[in-house]
Amino acid sequence: MTSQKSALEPPLGLDETAASELPEPPQHSRRTVLGAVASFAVLGLATTVLGEGLLNPPSSTEDGNFSGETLEFLIPLASGGGTDTWARFIGTELTNYIPGRPGFAPVNEPGGEGISGTNKFARSAKTDGTEILVGTASTVVPWVLGRSAVKYSFEDLKPVVVNGTGGVIYARTEAGVKGIGDLVNRDKPLEFGGISATGLDITTLVAFDLLEADVTSTFGFEGRGPVNLALQRGEIDLDYQTTSAYGSAVEGIAKEGKATVLMSFGQLDDSGEVVRDPNFPEVPTVAEAYEQLHGKKPSGEKFEAYKTLLGLTYTYQKGLWVPQETAEKAVTLLRESSEKLGADKEFQTKAAKVLGGYPLVADADMADRVRDAYTVSSSVRSYVKELLESKYNIHVE
Amino acid sequence: MLDSAMAALASLADPSLLLMLLIGTVAGLVMGLIPGLGGTGAVAILLPITFGMEPPQALALLIGALAVVHTSDTVSAVLLGAPGSASASVTMLDGYAMAKKGKAARALTLAFLSSMAGGIIGAIGLTLAIPLARPLVLSFASPELFMLTVLGVALAAVLSRGNIIKGVSAGLLGLVLGMVGTSPTTAEERFTFGSLFLGDGLSLVAVALGIFGLAEIASRASQRRGQKENITLGGGWGQGIREWLSHWTQVIRGALIGIWAGVLPGVGATAGTWLAYGQAVATAKDKRKFGKGDPRGIVGPESANNSVEAGDLIPTLLFGIPGGVPSAMLLGMLLTYGIQPGPSIITEHLDLMYLIVWSFAIASILGALFCFLSVKQLAKLTKVPFAVLAAGLVAVMLLGSFQEGGQLGDLWVMIILGVFGWLLKSTGFPRAPFLIGFVLAIPLERYYFLTDSLYNGLDWMARPGVLVFLAILVLPILWAFIKFIRARRNTNLDDGHRNERPEDDESPLKNSVWSLTAAGIFAVAFAAALISSASFSPEARLVPQLVSIGGLVFSGILLFTEIRTRLRARTASTGWTLDAGFAMKTFLWMTAFLALTAAFGYLIAVTVFIPAFLLIVARARLKVAIIYTAALYVVLLALPSLLPIDLPQGWLNTLV
Repeated sequence: MTSQKSALEPPLGLDETAASELPEPPQHSRRTVLGAVASFAVLGLATTVLGEGLLNPPSSTEDGNFSGETLEFLIPLASGGGTDTWARFIGTELTNYIPGRPGFAPVNEPGGEGISGTNKFARSAKTDGTEILVGTASTVVPWVLGRSAVKYSFEDLKPVVVNGTGGVIYARTEAGVKGIGDLVNRDKPLEFGGISATGLDITTLVAFDLLEADVTSTFGFEGRGPVNLALQRGEIDLDYQTTSAYGSAVEGIAKEGKATVLMSFGQLDDSGEVVRDPNFPEVPTVAEAYEQLHGKKPSGEKFEAYKTLLGLTYTYQKGLWVPQETAEKAVTLLRESSEKLGADKEFQTKAAKVLGGYPLVADADMADRVRDAYTVSSSVRSYVKELLESKYNIHVE
Repeated sequence: MLDSAMAALASLADPSLLLMLLIGTVAGLVMGLIPGLGGTGAVAILLPITFGMEPPQALALLIGALAVVHTSDTVSAVLLGAPGSASASVTMLDGYAMAKKGKAARALTLAFLSSMAGGIIGAIGLTLAIPLARPLVLSFASPELFMLTVLGVALAAVLSRGNIIKGVSAGLLGLVLGMVGTSPTTAEERFTFGSLFLGDGLSLVAVALGIFGLAEIASRASQRRGQKENITLGGGWGQGIREWLSHWTQVIRGALIGIWAGVLPGVGATAGTWLAYGQAVATAKDKRKFGKGDPRGIVGPESANNSVEAGDLIPTLLFGIPGGVPSAMLLGMLLTYGIQPGPSIITEHLDLMYLIVWSFAIASILGALFCFLSVKQLAKLTKVPFAVLAAGLVAVMLLGSFQEGGQLGDLWVMIILGVFGWLLKSTGFPRAPFLIGFVLAIPLERYYFLTDSLYNGLDWMARPGVLVFLAILVLPILWAFIKFIRARRNTNLDDGHRNERPEDDESPLKNSVWSLTAAGIFAVAFAAALISSASFSPEARLVPQLVSIGGLVFSGILLFTEIRTRLRARTASTGWTLDAGFAMKTFLWMTAFLALTAAFGYLIAVTVFIPAFLLIVARARLKVAIIYTAALYVVLLALPSLLPIDLPQGWLNTLV
């Protein structure tokens, strides 16, 4: 070390000397400045104007293949979340199945909890099938609630492929919950831990309202993970988790007897009825729980609202969408490629966890079913708004 | 257990795995160097590449990058006073002060060594935490987390150099700014004036880079001359390492605080690094040198910000609860491989757990080694006239801050906060509490409400964890107040000869029209916040009102002292100084740059701004200006296809 030092280091002790500075450089003449700046400005302008045309030649997506194109996925949320992971994974895989093997460019456009990016897509997306919107519960719920910031409508978009998810509602056993019957007629209401009443939690809130469960809610948690921890600490009594988080968050504590799985949200079948979730075949659905509690099948305004929200936020939760005006041939090609992808056994094993055990749905009738699910009646809208106002003191703007 | 650990180490001898680790490390270092990208950028870039790899390779790549991002982000903080990430702004306090004394290489050496140690200790912590994590996480309920956030802001305000009242005011204003956007409890929008852009709150990168980075550029862009002095390590490698070794307790303490901050959800790297700094100051006997280039102010925080990433992995892997965006992306990747994070990961994927631990440790060493070898080259940057660097820095920082949200609005926010940061800096307000307040505003409010609604009355105050935090919180505040009152009494005896005390060269505009203006801005901001929060629902209103009332009290005291000083001084105080004029001019340049971007897009703005700034402001040689601009132009053309970077688009781009 010492022998190296003399070669590597200048003499010691110089670091303490005060900064001595070089003389001030002279000013440049106006001509030099103008000349240099102007020539670079021309270069920049030329690149901006010409580069656009050279780098992105006009597309041809109606000729049965997407060769030479790039599929741009607009992900209206920040990178790193569940939707982002889903979109990037599907995009990477899907582009291998589309004839012509287009490139894949995921674009995150976070802002306004997904509203800004989706607004932008609705306003300016290309209609040649190369620009695709990733839809998810965060953009669907504000649209259902009719928030004024929402400038898009899922009625003006066409679905290419949809993918569902599911979930279970569970309770802390120590809070005195052994089964569904313990949800009603309580001395002390159960505490539900939520993130925000105007997000994905809304479906659970409507479920509680439908069941007439004895529940009070505290919102403000950062995410479902922290809610799960709060339940384990005994701070709250009720929580729900989606299927992909079930394994890590609920299964263990349910086995230890610390938590009791009460019901699943269920899934909508082809005819729009609530059926058991294939991932939780043993767990009763919200509709069955109602029967158990009240001795009759659920019906009426609240149940209609629940079914609508179940479809929007679970069964058809995530989807790829293109503008309504997109050329039919391009949409069909995308849809058929997605269908092939979804049917591929190798993909299915690879995707099991990302998709949370729910298939990619892209059959020919899918668009009609999604259309039905995404048609929200005005009575459902007003009931949900009324519920938020009366029970949670939230006025939707 | 040892078998799996050794097996995992042996598997790292596989060349393909080692190569991935190396690539990840280098990518992480490069990402750390660019202000604004950080760990999120590194993982976002590497994630798509991992699709199709085997899980061990993919993990080696990502962990390699994650482990070293906070090693290299120190470089720009120390050398240029522009933090590469928000958490590096803590190291900046002492590191940059040291660099300005010509000891940049020494500061960097200390920082890199500490980062390495932090990474290694973090990896050890990760190993040990495997059996401990669950009780640890479960013992921190909402009240403890609430106290922790309060502690973070309070420590920052009390321990910052300078006046404690200024520190508290800055911290409170940071809290108010952090509350812009959607309320965590009622989901209503606050202080957004109906704007969807503000609805998400201000971007952390924009705030950090504005308040520290741009402010620094503005105050130094007048330096057209480079420093001629020789840059040495101050005694060679040997002495650098020896000096670092003499602070080994700080290294370990910093790393432990980092791990802990990483384990707890919602604390994060910035606050964790700050807590490490806070404890270093609080436990030091001689506090005078902090903020002026004390090695202890570098060692602890640097050690902490690397171990935070390791700590972050604990809840991510064991509970599936990521503590930050990078670990959230990592979680996503694990899921695509069918690896289910959760308590069962220990039994089912123990080999992968150890692979992560080893990768983290090895990458920390490699990263520090690479940085260490380049210290002398990097430190030469200080020889370049700052004005020449400033041109490129403005372009890079604005581009970096654009990446997070992709909104031009963030860049305007950044420039406005740059002006504000310059004002704070010049008038002796500490800026760190402002940033910490901004970061912790939402967690503080969130955990306050959860505590309030989940516990009866004040029962939560009696929890042992809460009591410990209360003690830590109250004691230094009491102590600082006693000191403050004593200091006041002394100055009163001096009959207001405060101006005769040697002025701090860091804040030349203390006790001037400028500091009066700053105090005025604080008071007006708090008053405005108080008035506009009256329209919120009671739940959303409580915390902003408490904060702004507190702020009004403190800024009122400030305003009162300022006015009194001015009345007593009667002499012409500092007004429009040359430096102030230059700083304002620099901000005008930045504004023009952004206006050009909005009109014609980023590429044209750069090709106009860079040569003009270099020739007119920096008076660089023509050749330098041409090569500089041309190089930046080529990089900007290539960047979007190499990295996930978007150039801001202007009005012109929408036409063509």
